[in-house]
Amino acid sequence: MTSTTQTTAPAGAGIAPAPAGAARLSKRQLRKMHSTPKHLRSNLTAFLMIAPLLILLAIFVIWPLVYAFYLSGYETYYNRPAEFVGLDFYKFVLTDPLFWSALWVGLKYSLLVVPTILVLSLLLASFIKTLSGKMAAILKTTVYVPAVVSVVLTGLVFVFMYQDSGVVNAFVGMFGIEPVAWLNNDSTVLAAISVPGIWLGFGISTLIMLAALLDIPESYYEAASLEGANWFQRTWYITIPMLKNVFLYLLVTGFTLAMQEYLIPLIMTNGGPVNATTTTNLFIFNQFRDTSAFAFTYSITAALILFVVLGLLSLLIFKAIKSDKAVDG
Amino acid sequence: MSSHRTHTTRYRRRLTAATATVVAGAVLAACGGPSPAGPAGGNDAGGGNAAATENTGDAAGSGAAGGGDGAATTANTTSGVSEMKGTAAAGATTISFWQTKFEDYQQKWFADQIAKYNSSQNKVFVKYTVVPGDVFETKLKAAQQAGTQPDVATTNYGSISDGVAQGKFAELDGKIPAEAFADIKDNVKDFVKVGDKNYAYPMLVEPSTVLYYRADLAKAAGLDPEKPPTTWDELIDWSAKLTKGKVKGMTIASTKADLSWSSWGLQYNACGRLPISDDWSKAEATSECYTKLLQLYQTLFQKKYMPQTPKVGYPDAAPYVNGEVAMMANGSWAVGQLKDAKKPELLKNTRVAAFPSVDGDPKKPTATLGGWTLTVDSKSKNQDGAADFINWLLASDPQRMAEFFKLSGYSKFTVRTSVDKALASTPEATNDPFMKIINDQVVQFGKQEPGYPLDISNAFADAIESSMKGKADIKASLEAANAKIERTIQQQRLAGKGNG
Repeated sequence: MTSTTQTTAPAGAGIAPAPAGAARLSKRQLRKMHSTPKHLRSNLTAFLMIAPLLILLAIFVIWPLVYAFYLSGYETYYNRPAEFVGLDFYKFVLTDPLFWSALWVGLKYSLLVVPTILVLSLLLASFIKTLSGKMAAILKTTVYVPAVVSVVLTGLVFVFMYQDSGVVNAFVGMFGIEPVAWLNNDSTVLAAISVPGIWLGFGISTLIMLAALLDIPESYYEAASLEGANWFQRTWYITIPMLKNVFLYLLVTGFTLAMQEYLIPLIMTNGGPVNATTTTNLFIFNQFRDTSAFAFTYSITAALILFVVLGLLSLLIFKAIKSDKAVDG
Repeated sequence: MSSHRTHTTRYRRRLTAATATVVAGAVLAACGGPSPAGPAGGNDAGGGNAAATENTGDAAGSGAAGGGDGAATTANTTSGVSEMKGTAAAGATTISFWQTKFEDYQQKWFADQIAKYNSSQNKVFVKYTVVPGDVFETKLKAAQQAGTQPDVATTNYGSISDGVAQGKFAELDGKIPAEAFADIKDNVKDFVKVGDKNYAYPMLVEPSTVLYYRADLAKAAGLDPEKPPTTWDELIDWSAKLTKGKVKGMTIASTKADLSWSSWGLQYNACGRLPISDDWSKAEATSECYTKLLQLYQTLFQKKYMPQTPKVGYPDAAPYVNGEVAMMANGSWAVGQLKDAKKPELLKNTRVAAFPSVDGDPKKPTATLGGWTLTVDSKSKNQDGAADFINWLLASDPQRMAEFFKLSGYSKFTVRTSVDKALASTPEATNDPFMKIINDQVVQFGKQEPGYPLDISNAFADAIESSMKGKADIKASLEAANAKIERTIQQQRLAGKGNG
């Protein structure tokens, strides 16, 4: 319809009349467009719309990724020709016990932090939902505060809290427990650094969870109540299934970011004791700080492998949850 | 020339792309959303040298800037880089000098001396820039890629051999008089050499390990403060007796980042060498002699004679200054921290001694000597002028450096015999309660920091930490370290690269 309007527009109105050849061409184009299926025309428009983003992605993500793979095959020196080493560094990284240990530490840290955040967020969001508007607003602001606090500052504060004579040991001392070296003990350190991780992350998760909760039609709960469903049954059969996509989002982003955590362990424990809190990114960061040619290629290779691992992990979560496109009733 | 340029260009492209790639790779999968994680950042636990590099962005000083004319002014950038401005005299060659930012008095000393040098002659004009320590390497790398690297730069001892291998530094023999190199103390001479050639001129040394202890607390515990512990067994005994209530007997490194470098001196003490063969072809961490060293750390930690959760890193004297510990192992730089603490009673009651030896032999090394040198860039077009400046600043008039050490509160130590003599005639230096002991009992027997990759130091640090914190027994810890060192030797092809 648009095409018709264009081709039949009067020659006046300030527009120079189109040459005869151009008019014939327009008719051909018109025919061609009529012959193009509508869905293909929609696809073309869609591709044009996303083209800028794709180009930026190609320049800033795809190309560096490809070039990183290329670089991982060379040992690069300051004033000597780079030396081709093939896939040697993949072997070095994949056979390095410290790399696997770092991945395992990252996974354990994620398992401590992400599910805890999800449970806490759900509980807190459910509680906020029951409050009056003013109280809910105050609580929403309060829970969001940790999200804007500096991670460095948080880490340092928690270091002082875990000291021999810090508040945590003072608290456990009230129950007759001897001071514990929270950050210098293999069995407690990961849990200890998870606490600030949870504290920093659960505020924004709560707000997202609250938004999703408010999106569930109240009629579902009313109908369930009429049928005699208790709070647990309403949560299990209505709330949780309706929050499936939000859970998926929080799980994927939470795990991806928690697996990559390095600032909290860097500040609080420097990866110790004995690498117990050396996450993969901290491991890569420590390698990258060394100025040798070996460390340079090694850190690139380890970063590439981490990228693959995180991709697989995200895929696993997607598969496990079997996300629906829309479950909005 | 063309080939060299091609390699350099390729290197620059690779370096730039790789840096972007590592950053991009790290954020690739992070698509926003709720985060238990945080933004990037970091700190450097340091290694071997703990000179402060506080980034206050303050002025580098003032004075007559010359090669002929002009008063010096400073310009600060947002990154904390300070430049001393001035105008070179007609015909003078301008050389650029980048200094890592240290304590404030050092910037003032450098600026004053450079102003004097510029005024003293009209052939060379030094353009002085202070660069914060945390960005020094990054800025230097960027400048090298752009071809705007400084003619002269501060370089630590540990970077010299690797820098020479990469062709970064100009040879200084023939550019600085031979007598200047002859003035360097025997145990430091090799620090600036690769093969038989000199590539840097040393400025100072700072021993990594000195024992500080409280005489008043020792007396109260029935110990004789005039007879500090001389063996590791005695040190453990002192630590036990001085641990009372919340005050621990001792503080020493207990984390990998600190142990990796601060234990070098004690590794030498225990075995007379480091845990790798001289030519770096074989790991030697399982030697029986290291057992005693690991036992020392293990006992201090497991018996709770030292803080269980350190608040600060090894180079920070805060636990001792705050009265949380009665003894402290720390580098000579801690003298400066003690003097700056404005606690006269603490200073009066503080004694220093060489760190005890495994068997009480006072001549065995207990510390490695970290510190700074000045180097000339191999691509500098004014190497002679650059070397002349270094010679004037560090290697000529002994009073010049003696003045520097006075400003440091005698927390750093000279590498030149003639400066030692100058200090010997200075009452303030001879009366300093710490300087003579550290100089005569620690620096004299100090060893050079190893130039091998950090992975080897980390492997041994893991062994110490594992046994300290009960993750593995001493034998298993040393075996694990040995395997890691062997692996590093093979992967990084180190065999034959060691220099004894």
